[in-house]
Amino acid sequence: MTVFEKNLEVLAEHYPEMDKMIKDAQENQEEPMLEILEETSYDGEKILKIKKENKICYLNGKRDTKEMAKKWVETLGKLPRNTPILMMGVGNFSYLKELSEKMEESLTIVIYEPSLQIFLKFLEMTDLQKWMEKHLIVFWVDGLEGMDARSMRDTLVQVLKYEMLDYTKYFVLPNYEVLFPEETVRFVKMCRDVALKALSGYETNNIFAGVMVKNLFANARYLCDGYKTTQLIEVIPRDIPGIVVAAGPSLNKNIKELKKAKGKAFICAVDTAIKPLIREGIIPDMFAVIDALKPVELVEMEEARDIPLLSTLNAAPEVLDYHTGMKFFFNEGYQFAEDIFRKSGHKMGDVSSGGSVATNIFSLLYKIGIETIILVGQDLAYTGNKSYADGTFKDVIEEEDTSRFMMVEGNYEEKVPTQLDLKLFIDWYNMYIDRIKERDENFRVINATEGGAKIQNTELMTLKEAIEEVCTKEVDIRACLEKLPPMLNDEAREWTIEYLKGLSEEFRKVKKETRKMKKLYQKLDKISDKKNIDKKEYLSILKRIEKQREAVEGVSVFQLISITMSNAHYTLLGEQHFQEKSLQKEGKEIAEMGIAYVEDATKCAAVFEKYSEEMFGDLS
Amino acid sequence: MEEKIQSLFYKLRNMGAAFLIYQKRDNIEETKKIIPEIQEFVLWFLEGNRFGIEEELYQNMSSNLLGILEDILAALQQNDMVLLHDATNNGLLEYLQLFVETEQEEEADDSF
Repeated sequence: MTVFEKNLEVLAEHYPEMDKMIKDAQENQEEPMLEILEETSYDGEKILKIKKENKICYLNGKRDTKEMAKKWVETLGKLPRNTPILMMGVGNFSYLKELSEKMEESLTIVIYEPSLQIFLKFLEMTDLQKWMEKHLIVFWVDGLEGMDARSMRDTLVQVLKYEMLDYTKYFVLPNYEVLFPEETVRFVKMCRDVALKALSGYETNNIFAGVMVKNLFANARYLCDGYKTTQLIEVIPRDIPGIVVAAGPSLNKNIKELKKAKGKAFICAVDTAIKPLIREGIIPDMFAVIDALKPVELVEMEEARDIPLLSTLNAAPEVLDYHTGMKFFFNEGYQFAEDIFRKSGHKMGDVSSGGSVATNIFSLLYKIGIETIILVGQDLAYTGNKSYADGTFKDVIEEEDTSRFMMVEGNYEEKVPTQLDLKLFIDWYNMYIDRIKERDENFRVINATEGGAKIQNTELMTLKEAIEEVCTKEVDIRACLEKLPPMLNDEAREWTIEYLKGLSEEFRKVKKETRKMKKLYQKLDKISDKKNIDKKEYLSILKRIEKQREAVEGVSVFQLISITMSNAHYTLLGEQHFQEKSLQKEGKEIAEMGIAYVEDATKCAAVFEKYSEEMFGDLS
Repeated sequence: MEEKIQSLFYKLRNMGAAFLIYQKRDNIEETKKIIPEIQEFVLWFLEGNRFGIEEELYQNMSSNLLGILEDILAALQQNDMVLLHDATNNGLLEYLQLFVETEQEEEADDSF
């Protein structure tokens, strides 16, 4: 059986009758539109170049056939299960091969191929079986029966669900836009239109009561009795070391040693390290949570409830609800929270994110003036092929296959396996410490992680050695913290409660302004219907829209709506194949997108209005 | 000449990275702007074996370089961004790299 025949069987298994459709199309092919020229690359692979009208274009590099595909798949990173990939072209087989083989999760891949000839050649040359078993792959080929624009739209509607829009990837194989310019524009426009429809047709409540704003609102009430990180400067001595306890696999090696540092350092742990620490009888002086989706189970231990907490406003509210002790917040740029922080009268003070909870703690310790920081369990690598210390997510963390991981310089080993996200944290530490040291030569970072990846500008020693050397002064951190009053005095607290209760009114204002804006877009749409557009009128309405946009954005809570909606909308507006059009088409397009946007903003405001009423209505 | 080679090397490498990573599909236009620099390098290389390498190897390298130049010109003529990327980044760049010092290359890496 040839590869082609095998592929027909595989396709028929997934899509009954598709084999017949292909055979029929093959037999009834019209005059070929293009010529497919096969070539052997320098590395012995079969590659295609396409002759169409007066153009000849390669679909693969002849010196390196796989480079483009490999890099593309690398840049996609790790994708969640069922991520839609909308691809145009199969003429360079490496793309589908790399995508199918390298992605761990099952994806939904929709491939549009404008040339039946190329598709048939693809079926001759590539074995689809394994890829189709792993992923949901849908082929859309011009020239196959029933595969018209309408049914393609129906397929896209099934695939482009609102909740996946942020992850959806669009890709046109290089040179397809040269060989098939009209088809490319049609494909991209169809994807964009369907995505726009998905945006308008979602279930508003489910989407906009989404994780982030939900967390912000749920946590905002804790500001009333919370503390500000800048207050720590007043009570934490600077001449004691700070210890960042992360939950990397090496924590198991020296966790017991940490007991000796208690009362001689400011010990701050990441949320994931809380359980193993408490089990060893070590109560850190503070722990931190920043992750919006962190499961509360990770910290669910009675002893953890009272440990002072460093939190972002976006952190999992379940953790903050469970926790009963002092909660410390910092400036994160959310306008409504900034208003409250201003009212507190305390100094502005952020914490550099760095992307992980440990990097947040590291930055906090530096910003409150601590000059010696000890890192523990900060592996930033899969030491012993494990991702975390035992006793964190599971009692015993299983080893993983790290053979395909990137390798970086280790603390104790020449090379250690790591992942891209961890590598970014290594880079962050390298950059952050370097900058601090430029300003403060006394700043010391002791890396007491007994394994893991190397961080530049750190002194490597065991935790035992580090404690002996720098944890020499007694300190009662709990007593220090108890000296602090909440960041808001009675008057500011009362103001904050009224302010939070008034947020629903602000969302009502947004609704009012976005409705006005919609009317302006509708007017633009009407103007653009005319054959001869009055340019003055056209420009005037654009100016009014701009002015109205300023009015909408001027409402303080609009920032929350904007953050919620931005990703999905930018996905659409930033489409690379957007083409210049006539004034009429441009006007229609701006109006169409504008209406979709303001309708979403209005719905979003309505949901947040209700949500803020529920959250803050009975605040006291 | 060394400076010119380095400048060309970084231009091509950055262009290649933009094509591969950011899917910037403007390598045809960008390469047209530096064609004189490419030609100057090729002519300089072909002027004679001044590199202390075996004559046979030099001849093979020269003929391969001519092939690369041919591909570049064909790609520009056909608007073939794939062939162009391949010829510049997997062909010409390897020649340029022979004359770019590693230390300097690393510095440029950091700034990229």
